[in-house]
Formats: sequence, C-alpha cells, structure tokens
Amino acid sequence: MIQTILNALSLGGTYALASLGLGLVFGVMRLVNFAYSELITIAAYTLVMTNQLPIMVSFLFSVVVTSLAAVLMELLIYRRLRGAAPAIMLVASFGLSKLLQQVYELCFGALPRSASIAPWMSGELKFAGVSITNASLITAILTIVLLLAMRYLLNKTSFGIQLKAASADFRTARLLGVRANHLISLAFVMSGVLAAFVGAILVVGNPQVEPMFGMNMTILALVGIVIGGISSLPGSALGGFIVGVILSLLNTWLGNGRVYSYSWLFAAVFIILLVRPGGLLSKGQEMERV
Amino acid sequence: MQILEIEDLNSGYGKVDVLLDITFSMKAGQCFGIVGPNGVGKSTLLQTIAGAIKPKSGSIKLLGNEISGRNPEDIVRSGLALVPEGRQIFGGLTVMENLQLGLTGRADKKTSHQAIEHVAELFPVITTHSKQQAGLLSGGQQQQLAIARALITDPKVLLLDEPSLGLAPNIINNLFSNLKRILEAGTTLLIVEQRANLVTKFADEILILREGLIQDRLNKIDAQDENKLKKAYFGLGANE
Ligand SMILES: Nc1ncnc2c1ncn2[C@@H]1O[C@H](COP(=O)(O)OP(=O)(O)O)[C@@H](O)[C@H]1O
Ligand SMILES: [Mg+2]
Repeated sequence: MIQTILNALSLGGTYALASLGLGLVFGVMRLVNFAYSELITIAAYTLVMTNQLPIMVSFLFSVVVTSLAAVLMELLIYRRLRGAAPAIMLVASFGLSKLLQQVYELCFGALPRSASIAPWMSGELKFAGVSITNASLITAILTIVLLLAMRYLLNKTSFGIQLKAASADFRTARLLGVRANHLISLAFVMSGVLAAFVGAILVVGNPQVEPMFGMNMTILALVGIVIGGISSLPGSALGGFIVGVILSLLNTWLGNGRVYSYSWLFAAVFIILLVRPGGLLSKGQEMERV
Repeated sequence: MQILEIEDLNSGYGKVDVLLDITFSMKAGQCFGIVGPNGVGKSTLLQTIAGAIKPKSGSIKLLGNEISGRNPEDIVRSGLALVPEGRQIFGGLTVMENLQLGLTGRADKKTSHQAIEHVAELFPVITTHSKQQAGLLSGGQQQQLAIARALITDPKVLLLDEPSLGLAPNIINNLFSNLKRILEAGTTLLIVEQRANLVTKFADEILILREGLIQDRLNKIDAQDENKLKKAYFGLGANE
C-alpha cells in the first residue's frame, strides 16, 4: 500500500515536472511545444550513449545537451514564428517534433538503445516492513527538491516575477523593461533542464530509448496542463501531478486491465473539464500577445 | 532643448493606417495634452512612441537619438515610459512585485531602493498595500500603482493614456495634483485625455487629433477658452 502511494506520488511528481516544462514555454509564447517530447528523448539518448561515464557526469552532460537543444529550437525556429497565429505555431511544433524523431532514427536507429543505467538504482531499501526501490526513492526526493526550487524561482526571484508578468501580458511587461528575447530564451533553458530531469527519471525506469521515447509523457503532461489551467504555472504542475497519480493508481489497481488505464484517465479528464472548463486553477480570460 | 521630436510619423495596424502624418516636438519639462474623439488613434500614437507598435515611417527622437523601430524594453531604458490605457496592472502579482517589474526598465539599478522610497512618498498605497494582490486594489489605487510603476523606470518623458478613465471625480483631482508634482519635478508629460478640461489647466499645449493628423494646436490660454477648444475639437472653422 505504502509502496503504491509512493509510486503514485513519484510518478505524479515526474509528470508535474514535465507539465511545468511545457507550461513555462506556453506561458511566455502561447506555444504548445510538442517537440518537448524530443527534448526528453535527447536527454535519455545522451544518458544511454554516455553510460560509460560516471552517472553524475553523464547526467550533467545530458542537462547541457538538452537545454542547448531547447535554446536552439527557440532561436532557429520558434523565434521566427513569434506572434504568428496559434494554429501556425501548433503545426510548426508538431512538424518539428516529427522531424526530430526522424533525425533520431537516422542517428540512433529505430530500435531501442539500451544500457543499464546505475544498476544500484534497482536495489531495494527495506524500511519498517516496506520495500522501496532506490530509483523511486531518488525520484521522489529529486522531484520534491526540483518543485521547491521552481517554486522559489517563480515566486522569489526577479526572473520569476518577469516570467509571470510576461505570461499574463507580455506587451505591458516589455513596456516596463522586460527583455522579451532574454526571457523567452531563459524559459526554454529551464524547460530543457526540466526535460533532462524527466528524461533521466524515465530512462532509469525504462532504459529502452527509441525515437518516440518522450511522446507519451509529453501528451499526458499536456493533458495535465489543460486540467490544471493552461495559463497558470502552479496549475500546470498540479495538473501534471494529478495525471501522474491517477495513472499510477490505475496501473496498480487495474492489474491486467491496465490497457484501459488511458481510457479511465481520459474519462476523469473529461469530468474535470466539464466541472471546470478553464482548468482547476484558471482565472480570467486570455490577453492579447506580443 | 527638444526632448521629444516626432516627425512625419505614420503608424497603424496591418494595412490600416491610423496615424497618417504626425509632427510635433516637446521641450524638457513641458506638458502636452492630446485630445480627440474615440478611435482616432490617441492610444496608437502613445503605443507607437513607446515602441509597442512599430511605426510604418517617420522619425521619433528622444534626447536627439532616433528611437523609432526600437524595442519597447530598450526605449524604456533610454528614458521614456508609458502608463497604458486601462492601467494594465498585473492583478495576480503583489503591489511590490508590480513595482519590481518597473525596476527592470531602470537604467541605474544602484538607486533602486531610493526610487521605491521616492515614489512611495508620492503614492502611499505602495507602502500601505505592498504585499497585497494588485488586482484587489481599487481603481484609483491601481492607477497610482500604474503611474508609480512607470515612474520607477526613471523616465525623462512620461506618457499617460487616459489616466482618469473610470475614476471618481475626487480621485481624479488627487491624480492630477500628483501629475502636477511629477511635472514640477522636471518630468516631461504627454497626456491623452478624453476630458479635455482636465489637461487644459496645466498643459502647455493641447494637440487635437483627428483623421490621422494633428488638426489643431492650442496654447494654454486658448485651450482654456471653451469655445475655441470646442471648435478645434469638432473641426469647425473659426468663422462658423
Ligand atoms: N490591435 C488593433 N488592431 C487593429 N486595429 C486596431 C487595434 N487597436 C486599435 N485599432 C483601431 O485603430 C484605431 C485607433 O484606435 P486607438 O488608438 O485605440 O484610438 P483612441 O485611443 O484614440 O480611442 C481605431 O479605429 C481602432 O479600431
Ligand atoms: Mg485609447
């Protein structure tokens, strides 16, 4: 039972991180970045390919590669589309996602690449009759630390205030001196760092990395954002968390019926959206963008 | 010295020209009012000067430097701030956080602390409600915050877009006495007002905007003559 709850919480935390990564970029650009999935995937590939290095080095390397990929994505593609119609940005991000999947296939092949990442992670810790895998314990601690760090960053730093202001009304924020290019680049860096953590957590649980590795996570994280309220970052995190928890509990309770987990999850999503069409933490209507 | 010089400015949205050919200039420490009917392009003019809308042609010089076409975040750093129509307070942020945003546009970061104290003197709401969500403030308090937030960027020229909109008469009086103090402290003011009589009292000149052009300019004395003002506003010839 405790194992079940812990798993649910740690999967919830992972989804919360992914939703935050997506939400940060959505906030400043009103862009649903489908290619976030490919950021998670590149993080996972980097970990697998640098598996011979010490785990911390390999992980740091993956953080650098992933945030760099995120910045390049913004600089080369999304920056040119700034202010374009939402439909255009949506199609562009979807196209970029598919394109990168093809690139990964060319570079790494269509078959899964695997490696045993830090074998000690699958070891178990026994504590008061409960056994917990090292991996889920580390994941739980990591997500808690990261979520607290994000909360601090958003609420207590100038960057956080600028980010929230720009998410609400970019035009006015710029009139007060908020530098659009810097802020958006930084949002992408942070989104990349979060994707690196999510990729690492996923690859520890399932070290079979293929070109579409990050996709399920990304789609469900998007569902999380919608549930939580698409224009609120705490909402995004909460929504992601709820999706992760529901999914994890369904997977446990349904046993062999877990193929239906997604159906039940989406049923829950519809109910939430029927009750709160704007999402759980939504407020106010949309502002015009820059 | 000319602090703001606008020449042959053309601006609008997409293919629509709203401002055809605007030319005027201001000396440091002056106050100009801009009046004109709804939809004539007063907000478009202020937004264009502040860089939120890119002009189609023409020149905007601040302290002799060309600023047209530059980003709003750069323009505010070179000393021109806008208090937008409808105040545009960040309702989800606290009063202090709204002010901190203004600090990002301040060129001299070392004196930020004094700057906050200075605007708090003018607008006490900043200290009394500093931790409150800005969205919960009254309209008058929000207007104070909007002006304080712009002042904290340390502007030499301050543009205000219909500051009296939606405020009660006694609050408006208070607002304009504050604006007067800002003007007396040496800040150049360009104020858009629907209610012309509010600005005629202390503006050096009133520009009347119609059909994309500055149709008329009234000096302080003429502007206080209600008949002259009405005629200019509605575009009636002097002999009608
Ligand atoms: N974002 C916009 N897109 C297209 N047209 C606009 C936009 N904002 C204003 N307009 C049009 O530009 C004209 C001038 O508007 P505005 O500058 O707001 O006038 P004013 O402030 O004098 O009332 C109006 O006809 C208005 O409909
Ligand atoms: Mg207007």
